[in-house]
Amino acid sequence: MLKMTHLSKVYRTEVVETYALRDFNIDVKEGEFVAVTGPSGSGKTTFLTIAGLLETFTGGTYHLDGIEVSQLDDNARSKIRNEKIGFIFQAFNLIPDLNVFDNVEVPLRYRGMKAPERKQRIMDALERVGLASRAKHYPAELSGGQQQRVAIARALAGSPRLLLADEPTGNLDTQMARGVMELLEEIHREGATIVMVTHDPELAARAQRNVHIIDGQVVDLAEDPRFHAHVVEARQGKVAAE
Amino acid sequence: MKLHPMIAALRRHKAGVVLIALQIALTLAIVCNAVFIIGQRVSRVNRPTGLDENNLMLVTQSWVGAPSGDQPGDVDKLDSMQQADLAALRAMPDVESVAPINSLPLLNSSWNGSAALKPGVELREGNARTTYYFTDEQAFRTLGLKLVAGRAFTPADVQHRGFRDTSTPPVVIVTKALADKLFPDGTALGKTIFLDGGSSPSTIIGEVDRLQVPGTGSWTNSFTWNATLVPTRLDAGFARYAVRAKPGRLDAVMHAVPQVLYGVNRMRVLDDDSVKPFAQIRQEAYRSDVGMAILMGVVCLILLGVTAAGIVGLTSFWVGQRHRQIGVRRALGARKIDILHYFQMENLLISGVGALIGLGLAIGLNMLLMKHFEMDRLPVLYVLAGIVVVMALGQGAVFAPARRASNVPPVVATRSV
Repeated sequence: MLKMTHLSKVYRTEVVETYALRDFNIDVKEGEFVAVTGPSGSGKTTFLTIAGLLETFTGGTYHLDGIEVSQLDDNARSKIRNEKIGFIFQAFNLIPDLNVFDNVEVPLRYRGMKAPERKQRIMDALERVGLASRAKHYPAELSGGQQQRVAIARALAGSPRLLLADEPTGNLDTQMARGVMELLEEIHREGATIVMVTHDPELAARAQRNVHIIDGQVVDLAEDPRFHAHVVEARQGKVAAE
Repeated sequence: MKLHPMIAALRRHKAGVVLIALQIALTLAIVCNAVFIIGQRVSRVNRPTGLDENNLMLVTQSWVGAPSGDQPGDVDKLDSMQQADLAALRAMPDVESVAPINSLPLLNSSWNGSAALKPGVELREGNARTTYYFTDEQAFRTLGLKLVAGRAFTPADVQHRGFRDTSTPPVVIVTKALADKLFPDGTALGKTIFLDGGSSPSTIIGEVDRLQVPGTGSWTNSFTWNATLVPTRLDAGFARYAVRAKPGRLDAVMHAVPQVLYGVNRMRVLDDDSVKPFAQIRQEAYRSDVGMAILMGVVCLILLGVTAAGIVGLTSFWVGQRHRQIGVRRALGARKIDILHYFQMENLLISGVGALIGLGLAIGLNMLLMKHFEMDRLPVLYVLAGIVVVMALGQGAVFAPARRASNVPPVVATRSV
């Protein structure tokens, strides 16, 4: 589904070159739920922006759903973002001027979908996140958790092949975060491929697979015992709770 | 692109939307009426007088110590002085022809009266107001008038009389406009008219195609083309001569005329303003019209500029305000062109509302001007053209900020600030 090979991302200024990603390799299979972790500045978000075709990369190859994306022009990248990728952002990124229904409609509109199908998909997505009754509300009238659920509905409405989540619970309190995480797990169980960037070891532990990034490279978890310990503890906690 | 979400978004930015829509409405109302007024002024300025204006000049002079014209013998003496001037001017090598004349079209000096079909009647039904041009047999050649019926004056038709003498000429030539007014059902040739309520008839011997009255004020609007040519030299302490120079020799004649006239009689007043080409007469006559047209044009341009600046400013502000939102839209699949079209469509909506309000305001303003300033009804074409202009202005003004918006990268969606 998502395969990056020897990928690099370099930010250049007149005096310095900074490698955000270096010889970066990752292969996410269809239906996987992968958590990407790492310290601040390690390159997690850069990885996510490149994976979501929000940014270009400097070297290497990137295949998304079988398509090599490095040579695509801006319009083609927009089309893939629209049809194959669903985004869930830390800051929700709902459009404050639009109500819930219209927010969920945004990506569908850019797809040129007919109105009846759009409406059906929007209502289905809102039903799924439990917010069908709030369709006419504006984002400012919803709690943080509800806003993130709307964002998830927006990501799901287009039936994407890949869900990219950037710290999806980062702006939520524990209870709301738990609700959002449960929703993501439910979506994964239904067959979605999810790549989630997170700082939170507990959330990472709930993913199917963890990928750790340090200094722009994927490292083996076994090579970072401190992190490994966090994950193991978190997983044990989850098992105990169940 | 569906309008409903756009309208919903605009409703949440009411103040900016209302201000721009009102600005567009006011601009449309003012510009439509101003352009209409400019158009009227320009067509006034450009209307032909009926003269062949090239190579034509006017000499205005007065004698010092000339007889008053009130004593017996004064008129003949004044006439001989005038004839001596005419002979000297006509003898100049670069002069084609010269005619004595009391005034010219566009000149701020006129002798006006009325022409009637019955004696002793003034300005009633079937009568017409007219201006008089007192001249001689060289008038047609000098002024370049176009005779459309009858004949021109011959030397035998020409008389002379004192300035205060009110005797009626036996023959006259009238403009076609005056002839049509007096005799709408047939030819005026050979018919008699009575001038200024007098009892002696004057026979119409010819019709000229077109000859404008002196003066350009609105008071002349009712008889702009009603002129009567009278074959009479007026004798007074001053005289005017219309002079046609040979092609390309106008400047030379203008320079030589004072010397020639002083050669005839040094006891006269000729100042800098005494010898002027017709082009200068035209320029002076329409100076205020041209000035007003330029002023209104500048006001229109300023208004359009301010409106465009307002649109650029507000859209730039909105682009800045929605920077992240634009990034989110791009991340969700919007192409650059979608973002560009979004802002263009948004502007089209605001301009459309402004134009609708402006349509009403333009008509209202026109009605107000019609009521208080004798303005004509604003043609619908002007309003429609105005709407197209403000819509195009809006699209032009919004393009740069909209293009800037379309270049917001999708990665902005992931940035926390």
